[in-house]
Amino acid sequence: MMKKILIFTLIAASFTSCTVLKEYEKININDPDMVLQDKKADRNLTTAHSYREAAAGANGGKTGGGCGCN
Amino acid sequence: MVAAAVISIAYNFCKMKIFKITVSLAALFVCTMSYAQQTQDSVKTYKKRVLETTEVDFLTSYYSQDGDNAAVSGGLGTEELTDFTGTFIVSIPLNDDDVLTIDAGVSAYTSASSSNVGPFDGGEPADPFVASSGASSSDTWASLSGSYSHSSDDRNTIVSGKLSVSREYDYFSLGFGGGLTKLFNEKNTEVSVNANVYLDSWTAIYPTELRPFASGANGLANGLFSNNTITGNTNYSPIFNEFSDETRNSYSVGFGFSQILSKNLQGSLALDFIQQEGLLSTPFQRVYFSDVADSFIDNFQLADAIEQLPDTRFKVAAGGRLNWYINETVVVRSFYRYYYDDWGINSHTASVEVPIKLTDKFTVYPSYRYYQQTAADYFFGYEEALSTDTFYTSDYDLSKYSANQFGMGVSYTDIFTKMHIWKLGLKSIDLKFYKYDRDTTFSSRIITAGFKFVLD
Repeated sequence: MMKKILIFTLIAASFTSCTVLKEYEKININDPDMVLQDKKADRNLTTAHSYREAAAGANGGKTGGGCGCN
Repeated sequence: MVAAAVISIAYNFCKMKIFKITVSLAALFVCTMSYAQQTQDSVKTYKKRVLETTEVDFLTSYYSQDGDNAAVSGGLGTEELTDFTGTFIVSIPLNDDDVLTIDAGVSAYTSASSSNVGPFDGGEPADPFVASSGASSSDTWASLSGSYSHSSDDRNTIVSGKLSVSREYDYFSLGFGGGLTKLFNEKNTEVSVNANVYLDSWTAIYPTELRPFASGANGLANGLFSNNTITGNTNYSPIFNEFSDETRNSYSVGFGFSQILSKNLQGSLALDFIQQEGLLSTPFQRVYFSDVADSFIDNFQLADAIEQLPDTRFKVAAGGRLNWYINETVVVRSFYRYYYDDWGINSHTASVEVPIKLTDKFTVYPSYRYYQQTAADYFFGYEEALSTDTFYTSDYDLSKYSANQFGMGVSYTDIFTKMHIWKLGLKSIDLKFYKYDRDTTFSSRIITAGFKFVLD
């Protein structure tokens, strides 16, 4: 567990050394499919996963509330 | 209450021996925020509205599932369930900087599994693989939430707050939370922190045959047993006490970090800590013990007990996304998550989606997702638990399994919003279908649709 969190931290730290893009250079990054989250239409799918699977969190979905026990 | 949650989470950190790592993460976050202050964009730019006009999203889905391991009938029985959901999300720009979002949804389900909370309905012979016509065979879940976000003049700081409430027949949830997002490096880097609290409460419903064994009830003298014949062990004597605490509280803290890596590549990391307390067992889920003789009415085995789970649960989820713009036609979207909780469950989730632009209006979305988890320490299959165990459940959602999900979607986008309904211009339609199969008998399907409108 500790190793995994340490690796996670190192990956986060390594991201800060990247090139800085100007706004006019972000045409591709601003493509709607490049968004770093699920599309709204997938929200009910994410909810179904959080109800049927033990894992929850770290995906922009619910991390609590509601029952989902049926 | 929030202070208690923080103390509780801190306690779990120490218990898991990850305190030092957490301090490191917090230090990294503080350093990053400090760096952000020093590198604020120095050039004043035109202040664009955060949201140009009111947007309305209508989301709907139809979900169905089936399997042979219903938790309601102790790990053996139909898991058949269908659910229809409709949600409206309205985002309103209050001024240049502030956005109010109202989210209202309704979900209606019918469940053969839940119907067997009360399987002795006088119709067909009771059977865990046959739905009954009881009140628990269907329910409606309704939810309403409001969120408010404020962006700073330079758009490098976003503060948000959220309040939510949801209700179904036997469950009520009240949630609130907030978040802070900072952008820097000319908006190439984003860090965020958020916290949420959910204060939930049950109206506990127990399996029909156990209710006569509640404190003060008449046991085997109850009409249920005089109107139906017990077979097998006729001296039916379950272990049953009603839960005294029917509250369930959840507290979560999440950290996010995203970075543009090149003109065609960006990624993000998320780390969530979740603490749950209270009634974490589901009151109507039966358990059958291997050391207790079986009793039946018709073909339905009478509960030996209801599931018993600890009243606390600590979860950690760490995930990452990496999106790659290959060319004007193809994008690759990937996601990975590791999950751990102190009930003994570890899981890995990995998914990839490859949007392919067919024209300037149509994009298709093939996708694949893999999921696996280990079993909870308290999970026992049908008739595997012992009556001497402290904690037990036969909920196969807490068992060891792996699952594959294949999906396909199509989206239509019209940036000029030529089609109109009243004053709302249709901006996009998303249709998706997903097929999900575990390596057990469980499988599910979901069709989702999303319609996005903008106010003229």
